Amino acid sequence: MSRREAGPRRLRLEELLQRNVYDVDHRPHIVVDTSKCSRCDAKPCVRLCPAGCYTVVDGRLVFSYEGCLECGTCRVVCPLGAVKWDYPLSGRGVYYRFS
Amino acid sequence: MEMNQPSRFDAIVVGAGPAGATAALKLAEKGYKVLLLERGRGAGSKQVFGGRVYAELLRRVFGDLKDAPIHRWVKREALMLADGDRLVAVAYWTANSTSFTTYLGQLTSWIVERAVNAGAVFVDEVRVDRLLVRDGRVVGIEAGPDRVEADVVIDAEGVNRLLLERLGLVAKPKPAHVALGVKEVIRLSEKAVTERFGLEDGEGLAWVIVGSVTDYLPGGAFVYTNKDSVSVGLVLHLDAAVRGLRAHVHELVERLRLHPLLRRYWGDGDVVEYSAHLTIESPEFIPKSLVHDGLIVVGDAAGLLLSTGLTVRGVDYAVFSGFLAAEAVDCARKEGGFTRDVLSACYEQPLRRSAVYRDIVRRKRASKLMKDERLFRDAVRFAVKAASTIYELGEETPKLAEALEEAERAARLSKLSLALMLIRLVRGL
Repeated sequence: MSRREAGPRRLRLEELLQRNVYDVDHRPHIVVDTSKCSRCDAKPCVRLCPAGCYTVVDGRLVFSYEGCLECGTCRVVCPLGAVKWDYPLSGRGVYYRFS
Repeated sequence: MEMNQPSRFDAIVVGAGPAGATAALKLAEKGYKVLLLERGRGAGSKQVFGGRVYAELLRRVFGDLKDAPIHRWVKREALMLADGDRLVAVAYWTANSTSFTTYLGQLTSWIVERAVNAGAVFVDEVRVDRLLVRDGRVVGIEAGPDRVEADVVIDAEGVNRLLLERLGLVAKPKPAHVALGVKEVIRLSEKAVTERFGLEDGEGLAWVIVGSVTDYLPGGAFVYTNKDSVSVGLVLHLDAAVRGLRAHVHELVERLRLHPLLRRYWGDGDVVEYSAHLTIESPEFIPKSLVHDGLIVVGDAAGLLLSTGLTVRGVDYAVFSGFLAAEAVDCARKEGGFTRDVLSACYEQPLRRSAVYRDIVRRKRASKLMKDERLFRDAVRFAVKAASTIYELGEETPKLAEALEEAERAARLSKLSLALMLIRLVRGL
């Protein structure tokens, strides 16, 4: 039986995000008009949002703000202006300690 | 937000990053009543950078940096051209360091603490929603239901310029003007960092890696050694990434962390943070005007960042612009007010005359060059193929000229296009 050599393992995105400290607000700071996304073939947000907030489920774009790293990439790359982007209120969101 | 502070300030600074915190510190030192607002919880909690700060401008603004949170002084640099599991490295070693590594959050906390000690009022957890405008001039800020007025507002909101956009002073950035930086901070022991990278105590290094680490897309990877951790990440120009990125960006970062030639340095370390931030890649990001009636723009919001492909500097420029903004407030008060004309003479003109600004603008050609996708694919393939032909020997030992010819064939580059690329590279950088 072949066993893989023990060594560093690739981390899934969810595992990477779990290394961060968040205080997630119940109010989303980003609102996406996903009705526009069906007209967008490229969907650059899906590969470029480093937190994977944009996913495609059954052909439809699904957005979740909870893991957001507050970088602003989606706002810049969205070709249809579907992203209404702001920062979280009251110090909520990601809390960087070592960056 | 605690508003039982005096309701009127001489100046309001929006954003406690390196630019805003420096402006607040220098204004407080001059005796101005200054309010420093920060959206994050505590100073520095929303800060992300690559990993290093050039010290010269900081010394000029803060004096000696003895109590600054410096992790390591960078004394070893390398540019690496990576093609899969082969890479060519060009190293620079020196005993004389001009830059240090740190966590940006620690550095800005250090500046904010000094600002508060000097008398600045620092209020965190406040998201400023709007600059308050009356009769065409900025007179303060609006945050939720709260309004605070001041003679002058210093906009240090960073690369996402929501406030300036809402006022119609800048447009939303184009993908061609910015890049996405994503990084992992990997915890190691201080001893492991020092020994594995061949450093001495307090010494650090900075690597730039281009080629297959970004799928040959414009941008590059970076490595910085902190005291007891390593920052490993990459920068992707958004216009090229929109067109050419095949994998999810986090997979590129993980591939870099697990790179067969590099993971020996940090592979056993714990990833303790995963962060992202936009960075400026074009002088076209600089607003047409850096001042308006009652308003001064500093730091990233002013587009003050220079990425040459070999080096990146933004934090020292931010500090410098914050310092100039504080000087300008003093100057404008003496010159009779915070009108656009006076602020232009007191802030914008001195800034535009500075070496900092001129260096950013004259790199326009380099910033175009850095978008040349051939540079990141063909030139890297050429260099790595040439090196592997020279160093990986069987029975035959090829002459240098033969190795170069073989590399030209492998990278499908003509002698002419290679020469032209070299000339443009040397001129641009």
